[in-house]
Amino acid sequence: MISVEQSKIWEKLPGNRVVEAYVGEYASGKSENAVNRALDLVEKGRKVTLVDLDTVEPCYTLRPLKGPLTEKGIDVIAWETKQLIGLGEAGMVLHPHIPLVLRRPGDIILDVGYGIDGPRTLNLLDGSQTSQDLRVLAVVNIARPLTSTVEDIVEYIRGMGKVHAIINNSHLGNDTDLEIIQEGIRIVTGAARELRIPVEATVIEEKWRELIGSVDSMGNPVRTLRKRFMVDSFW
Amino acid sequence: MASIIEGEKRVFITGNEVAAWAALVAGADIMFGYPITPQNEIMHYWTRFAPKHDLKFLQTEDEISTGFATCGAIQAGLKAFTATAGPGNVLMQEPFGMAEGMRLPMVAIIQQRGGPSSGTVIYSQQEMNLTTFGGNGEGHRIVYSTATHQEIYDYVIKAFNVAWKYRFPTFVLGDGYQAKMREPMVMYDPAARGIEMVPAQKFVGFPGEIGVDRECVNLCNIYSMEEELYDVLEKMESDYQKMTPEVVEYQEQFCEDAEIIIVSHGVVSRAGLDAVKCLRARGIKAGYFRPITLRPFPEEAIRKVAAGCKKVLVVESAINQLQKVVKEHLFGIPLEVHALSRPAMGIIADEIFARYMEISK
Repeated sequence: MISVEQSKIWEKLPGNRVVEAYVGEYASGKSENAVNRALDLVEKGRKVTLVDLDTVEPCYTLRPLKGPLTEKGIDVIAWETKQLIGLGEAGMVLHPHIPLVLRRPGDIILDVGYGIDGPRTLNLLDGSQTSQDLRVLAVVNIARPLTSTVEDIVEYIRGMGKVHAIINNSHLGNDTDLEIIQEGIRIVTGAARELRIPVEATVIEEKWRELIGSVDSMGNPVRTLRKRFMVDSFW
Repeated sequence: MASIIEGEKRVFITGNEVAAWAALVAGADIMFGYPITPQNEIMHYWTRFAPKHDLKFLQTEDEISTGFATCGAIQAGLKAFTATAGPGNVLMQEPFGMAEGMRLPMVAIIQQRGGPSSGTVIYSQQEMNLTTFGGNGEGHRIVYSTATHQEIYDYVIKAFNVAWKYRFPTFVLGDGYQAKMREPMVMYDPAARGIEMVPAQKFVGFPGEIGVDRECVNLCNIYSMEEELYDVLEKMESDYQKMTPEVVEYQEQFCEDAEIIIVSHGVVSRAGLDAVKCLRARGIKAGYFRPITLRPFPEEAIRKVAAGCKKVLVVESAINQLQKVVKEHLFGIPLEVHALSRPAMGIIADEIFARYMEISK
């Protein structure tokens, strides 16, 4: 198992790349974290491909953001509305660039559809079973009712198959306060310890940075969201 | 049995999930459903709860069966509910009509999508007429139009109580935005807030021999003669009118000295209130009125606030559905009724403000 520290060193080594799949409960913050991660990487001058692998509600989160993210230098693999006219909500056609996307050079960020079956979507990618780079990150928000306790999180993540680390994304939207952030740190860390996997990061908005610091109260790295992009998305 | 929510719980949640949780804490026994976006997660989440709480779910072959199965379960004494949208709402009007005709306390959550036909899966307020007045034969129903996730929770709980108390089918009318949007709200155990849930009662299967121990139960939605049906309809109408003052709900703000009232319902009323605040900040005497019960409509309240004003602006994501109802209930009051109608499109405060400027020239 690669540790969080090792993954950061790995990321910095010449020629090495970041390949991360963001999975988790419905509305846990997968797309938000995937988009923010992609932006962080591209700002470091890295080549980044962001992939919409949401087959549950195809293209609703990344599709409207494709233009702005492309302008920022990210190669976004997601359909555009005009390309799917007439298919309706059930018409999911896998984007032709997706099956071989792991063969692309540079960093790959995969935004996976929700639920415990979400990670199985990774089977659509050629090489996903043998990839040495691919890390599956489960995004958890303890304010989501079905992942609000250590027991629930452990059960949920065990049902997902291989998960390398947890992203603690605990918040209450505009009602977020220090209490929910600290409770999230405590509960998610407890779940991670029981699962014997690391907490990749505690994710917070910039305004909490000064209070939380660069390492949270349980010793996990802290990642700051540049922006909550999903507010501008479809729903 | 331990309560499902201990005290209160702050959550970050989608509207569909809220509806499923609310049905759970309201004591629903069974959900019948048939998939249609944007209500699917109500079914998804109910099916996740059901095994843990020994509750039931049945997906039938279509919405007509779903509605009639719901009617049947209610007659057997179960708190049964369903959820649908768009064309599914059309198909369910026949069983909804049976619930009206037989006074069955059915609860249905409608998440409006764009139309006609399959339209879009996204959003609209185009199912207001259908949900409020659908079904043949002038049946009676109660319709709550929600604006926030907190209200979805509150009114789904209330819908079960109102339906079982007054025995009229009760609808919670949301929309695709509310269904899919994420926002914070507080879930609670109704008992912890002093809300007593009305128990379900069966309509059939009573003990004893018919004609010896008890009268037969005559559950009926068809009658031989006009007079029989007429008597039933008169009783329904009388019961409904008697109930109306106890059930009718609305919101108003800034109406005391208002010269223009912005009228909206559901999620659009969030923009309606923002627009009124914006107009007030500019010294314009604007008021906000929102029917929460689209049926029974708060006629007395809207006539009272409109009596002193010059104009009403009805704002909706549909083509004049609310406007027609408002006009009917304001009949005889000398004022101008204007509309901002954006079928199947969301509406923000800026657009309402711009429309105000147009009609004020």
